[in-house]
Amino acid sequence: MGKKRRGPTLEELMARPWCYYCERDFDDLKILTLHQKAKHFKCDRCNRRLNTAGGLSVHMSQVHKEQLTEIENALPNRSGLDVEIFGMEGVPEDVLQAHQQRVAAQYHQAEAERQAVTGNPPAGSGAGGQPNKKPKLEDVSDLKARLAAHRAKRAEAAAGGSSGEATPLGAGQSASTPTSYGQPPATASPVSQQQPPVQLTYPPPYGGAAVPAAAPYQQQTASPVYPAFSPPGAAPYAPSPTGVTPYAPTGYSPQPYPGQPATPGYGATPPPFPQQQTPPTDTGLPPRPGSLPTLAGLPQRPAFAAPPINAQQMQQMHMGHPAPPTPATGYANGNATQTPGQISSSVDDLISSAAKEAAAPEKAAKKDKTKNTRMIYSDENTSPEEKMAKLARYAFSRSAFQQETALGEIPASVVVGTIRDQDTVIDPAH
Amino acid sequence: MSSNQFTVASPPTDAISALKFSPDPNSTRIVVSSWDKNVYLYDLRDENGVVGGGKLLQKFEHRAPVLDVCFGENENEIYTAGLDWDVRKIDLNTSEQTVMSSHEAGVRNVVYSREHNLIISGSWDSTLHVHRPDAGTNTQSIPSIIPLPSKPFSLSLTPTKLVVAMASRALHIYDLKALALLTAQADSDTANGNKVELEPWQRRESSLKFMTRCVACMPDDAGYASSSIEGRVAVEWFDPSPESQARKYAFKCHRQTAEDGVDVVYPVNALAFHPIFGTFASGGGDGVVALWDGISKRRIRQYQKYPSSVAALGFSGNGKYLAIAISPGFEDGKDDVPEGVVKIIVKELGETEAKAKGAK
Repeated sequence: MGKKRRGPTLEELMARPWCYYCERDFDDLKILTLHQKAKHFKCDRCNRRLNTAGGLSVHMSQVHKEQLTEIENALPNRSGLDVEIFGMEGVPEDVLQAHQQRVAAQYHQAEAERQAVTGNPPAGSGAGGQPNKKPKLEDVSDLKARLAAHRAKRAEAAAGGSSGEATPLGAGQSASTPTSYGQPPATASPVSQQQPPVQLTYPPPYGGAAVPAAAPYQQQTASPVYPAFSPPGAAPYAPSPTGVTPYAPTGYSPQPYPGQPATPGYGATPPPFPQQQTPPTDTGLPPRPGSLPTLAGLPQRPAFAAPPINAQQMQQMHMGHPAPPTPATGYANGNATQTPGQISSSVDDLISSAAKEAAAPEKAAKKDKTKNTRMIYSDENTSPEEKMAKLARYAFSRSAFQQETALGEIPASVVVGTIRDQDTVIDPAH
Repeated sequence: MSSNQFTVASPPTDAISALKFSPDPNSTRIVVSSWDKNVYLYDLRDENGVVGGGKLLQKFEHRAPVLDVCFGENENEIYTAGLDWDVRKIDLNTSEQTVMSSHEAGVRNVVYSREHNLIISGSWDSTLHVHRPDAGTNTQSIPSIIPLPSKPFSLSLTPTKLVVAMASRALHIYDLKALALLTAQADSDTANGNKVELEPWQRRESSLKFMTRCVACMPDDAGYASSSIEGRVAVEWFDPSPESQARKYAFKCHRQTAEDGVDVVYPVNALAFHPIFGTFASGGGDGVVALWDGISKRRIRQYQKYPSSVAALGFSGNGKYLAIAISPGFEDGKDDVPEGVVKIIVKELGETEAKAKGAK
């Protein structure tokens, strides 16, 4: 699972040596000391490179009879001689901490930006790989389960709501299923948090996914349940997979639909469903003739059906689940009834988190622009001097001095009507 | 690296608005205008000719805060501009003050062109007044008034050009020869008043996005640098050819990252070119002075931060000294100028301290 490595981790960044004087960071300590010798501890007069500021100071005073007052090329607040620096040694604790904080802040910011841009999960979280693979791993059993559940549903429908019976049976068998079942939303939610666009741009698969989505219900009652209580349902069902060869589409597709009365808008889905399903059942039959007829065909289905469904669709399946809540409740299966609730809440989470996520990059982008700039003086139209001139203590009323002014020497055009206060706005057009 | 630094004795009592070195190469005279309504004349040399903290030679009181000052034809003549709307000439020997002209608002800048013997003042009434030195005393010589599209904030001269940086990021470059000619004509032709519509040699928009704070011309007459309130300096060339225009650039400076990671951006209040090396110094609201090599686009050095904003900068005529005016700056969200120490610091530069190192 060699995941592509992108960029250094925070730890690596933190461990990089950096120069106290100019905050630049380096690959290793040796380069740092070379940098310091060349940039900060070099004698201006003879270009000799000293090891430390103290060394340079002594050199300057002894060789050139001059007093070193500041370190060259240093940040304004770091140019003092009071700290003795060599490489990373001698850096004051508070400065060190401030630096690390800044590195961390920069890292997280860059990370957030990258995330916003690429939609990828944070490095090392592993969440990126998981959701993509998990559904694939699961879907064999998932699909199997779905088919089983579907069949159970059918059976239930046929049995006229003898679901009470199904519960204990299904519960035992589906002990594993709920977990895997409950998982998808759990794993899916982080994924979709990171990939809100994906979530949003896949409405079409939603319809398609809904058909397989019906299957998980079957899982609960899966194989054991089936023989136990739904022979009537099994009977009509069985023919479809088994007798597939030519009739599969017609025989098969009607079935899911009666089973899922609550799912409207699936009209578009039937075609892909049978199309995909037919071949598997076809080939699937021979390998498992021994088991129940229905089961025989089932395991094969996912094997074929899964690949065409990509990760997102897979996710959608899980997401799309709550759509048909009626069959689920009709189950009266503890797990089944529980799950829709869980899912719907997780869907809510998803929606809100997706919304949040969508808003986040915007915020980040905004922050970037205004980021990190606070202007000390930001009035675009009035210069600082003009503002100062308006202060009371600088106020000057020309009229008070008008008498004094030697009028004769001043061009008439300037003097006429100039008895104005300092604050008077003067239209240059006049 | 280790330059000698002096603090000039008896500094102004309020914020400094301008500081100029005498253009005379051997002179160590400085004039400083201040919001305390005075213009100060200092000489860095003491009685024995030793350069040091210097002494205050004279003080000229005005009616209102003085916003700019410049030396005239020689060391004994200065021109001042201030909030009392007047442009004055002061004879340092006799202390005689003559009003050259009056604007219709505070006068922000005054510059003197030795080559064309012109005094040019820029006022917040959005005009330039162009005077000849005998204006004010000779009634025949009245200043020409050149209307500007916006309030001028900074003026700078080369031997041949005048650069006017204005509000709304406008910038005009005038040809001094044309200016001189027009002024001469206007004198003889007083019939149509003294308003002169002079088309600038070039009209430009500032390369910086924010209000221009200061403009300074290169000593070799090739171009100019301008600075804005948003910690940035642009370097541009006069030559309108595309090649020269492609050379222009701008860079960020005078910024500090605060604790919370926010970049605090200070206005760049002052720019000054070194008369010999052609490098320039910038002074910001952060109290930092940096030396730059505009050609190779490198910072030569940055001096340690001063306690308050750098209001003005000036190199001496021979380039051996750099005078730095430190005074509290006007900042956003404050109704008053903060308390702060007003200081004039003179740095004695090492022989190569302000020299371009050349591209590495």
